[in-house]
Amino acid sequence: MSATPTRRIALPAVRGGYLILIGIYFLLPLLAMARFAFQNVPMALLTPEKLLAGWSVSGLWTAITDPQVMSATWTSVQIVALSIVLNLVILVPVAIVTEVRNPALRPLINALTLLPWVIPPIALVVGVAATFRVAAPWFLASTLSLVPFYALWAMPFTYRVLDAGLQAINARTLYEAARGMGASFPTIIFKVILPNMRASMIASAALTAALVLGEFAFASLLLKSTLPTEMVTYQGSDPRGGLALALFVMVVTAVILGLVVKAMRRQGINFQASGF
Amino acid sequence: MKILNRSNRLGLIVATPFVAFLLLFLIYPTIVILYKAFTPGGTFGFDAMTRALSGSYLTGFISSTKLSIASALIGGVLGLLLALTVKGMTRPRWLHTTLDAWSAVASQLGGVPLAFAFIATIGTQGLLTKLLMQIGIVPSDYGLSVSGFWGLVFVYLYFQIPLMFLVMMPAVNGLRQTWREAALIAGASPTRYWRSVGIPLLIPAALGGMLLLFVNSFTAYSTAAVLNASLDIVPLQIRFLLQGNVITGEEDLANAIVAWVILLLLVSLTVMTILQRRTLRWTRS
Repeated sequence: MSATPTRRIALPAVRGGYLILIGIYFLLPLLAMARFAFQNVPMALLTPEKLLAGWSVSGLWTAITDPQVMSATWTSVQIVALSIVLNLVILVPVAIVTEVRNPALRPLINALTLLPWVIPPIALVVGVAATFRVAAPWFLASTLSLVPFYALWAMPFTYRVLDAGLQAINARTLYEAARGMGASFPTIIFKVILPNMRASMIASAALTAALVLGEFAFASLLLKSTLPTEMVTYQGSDPRGGLALALFVMVVTAVILGLVVKAMRRQGINFQASGF
Repeated sequence: MKILNRSNRLGLIVATPFVAFLLLFLIYPTIVILYKAFTPGGTFGFDAMTRALSGSYLTGFISSTKLSIASALIGGVLGLLLALTVKGMTRPRWLHTTLDAWSAVASQLGGVPLAFAFIATIGTQGLLTKLLMQIGIVPSDYGLSVSGFWGLVFVYLYFQIPLMFLVMMPAVNGLRQTWREAALIAGASPTRYWRSVGIPLLIPAALGGMLLLFVNSFTAYSTAAVLNASLDIVPLQIRFLLQGNVITGEEDLANAIVAWVILLLLVSLTVMTILQRRTLRWTRS
């Protein structure tokens, strides 16, 4: 009993201290990156009184107006758009039909959509080089050949989001209620289910976008110029601008993923639950 | 009967593109990898598979395993502690939302920008390096540099801790306040409650989470490739072989290494799913 008062004071202090340490660990790299990217003062010359000197966004401006970076960005934007479309076109029908018509198949579909996790980019690239490079060299010649693979790796995340979205709107009940009132199958899908899936479809799209904007291994090993691979090339010639660009992409990705969390919370889906 | 047929037809229309897509872009290349791994030089044999686990490739597997175990254990413990720390906290009110959103973001933040951020932090001209040198500590003396083993672990924690946090939150939140109260009323001390109730319930989930972290780190390529491309870890060795640095007769080595990686991931993810199911049983009720 005598230990209780000290424990009551000590526990919040330990908790607070731990949170502060974690906070420093997560913030410091971002601060260091921002300083390096936007403050034109070498680390060796940085003294406390120079902390506010030499800040400018010129590095970022030079980086994003670089023709090579611009064309890589355009490529990545196209890949993002096409991957989102491909991912949704394939998965949305599967998710809906499984949920409203064949719920018995759910475990099977679930397992299938997790397969891309077993074969990560660094592994699949070897198989792709051994197959498509021989059988269909014209296919791998295009940068857009990355699209199906990116749609594939987004699948474990996006399928979970779509499925959670269907559960959250009670799709099976909606389907049966609409059918009971005499609605045809297309009417149910287009007028009842799909409009209610907007949030989870937006979340899926954003997850795919974030994945594409961050994928480096596969593109780099197939020698494709996308925004992440170009970032590394560009950083070699302009370290400051390269870091500014990377920070910019990081912020864009964070905002996109932030939107996912928000869109899903509005539907009453917790992001944590979709971690698996 | 007519309804059944229609339902079947609909299932077929929906399933065909999905299955075809998986077959063409995932299963077909994977089968080719496995086939080539077991038929080095065109005839069936375990030659390539054994060579993939010998010499410098064995070193690669060992250092990859060490790196993954270190980052999974440290990241796992720190992430679990983070989940436990914020569990009972209701103030400040923004804490939970911020942490959830941030973890969702940071757990996906591997790759190039992360590597750059840490070059600016613990690189030779990094902010933390300079700060520590101000007080007379040279971080590289303690193995903390962007190109070293512990440096890489330090960087990987940036996505491992948030991932563990996300994975553990449902289990940690599933420990109901009433169980704790019941234990305390029955006369158990808080330590006893944790020893007999809390920890045994959390262990399967924590092990499953750490396996996920292990897999996550084992296959991480971009961060290491940018920080130190000469490290002897499996993903970087695959790159070396893929870029055509192959002696005649060694073409199937890359396939064999990948076959081992796939096997490792398959086992890890299966065990993880089993552990996860155990946790789901009591968090859902």
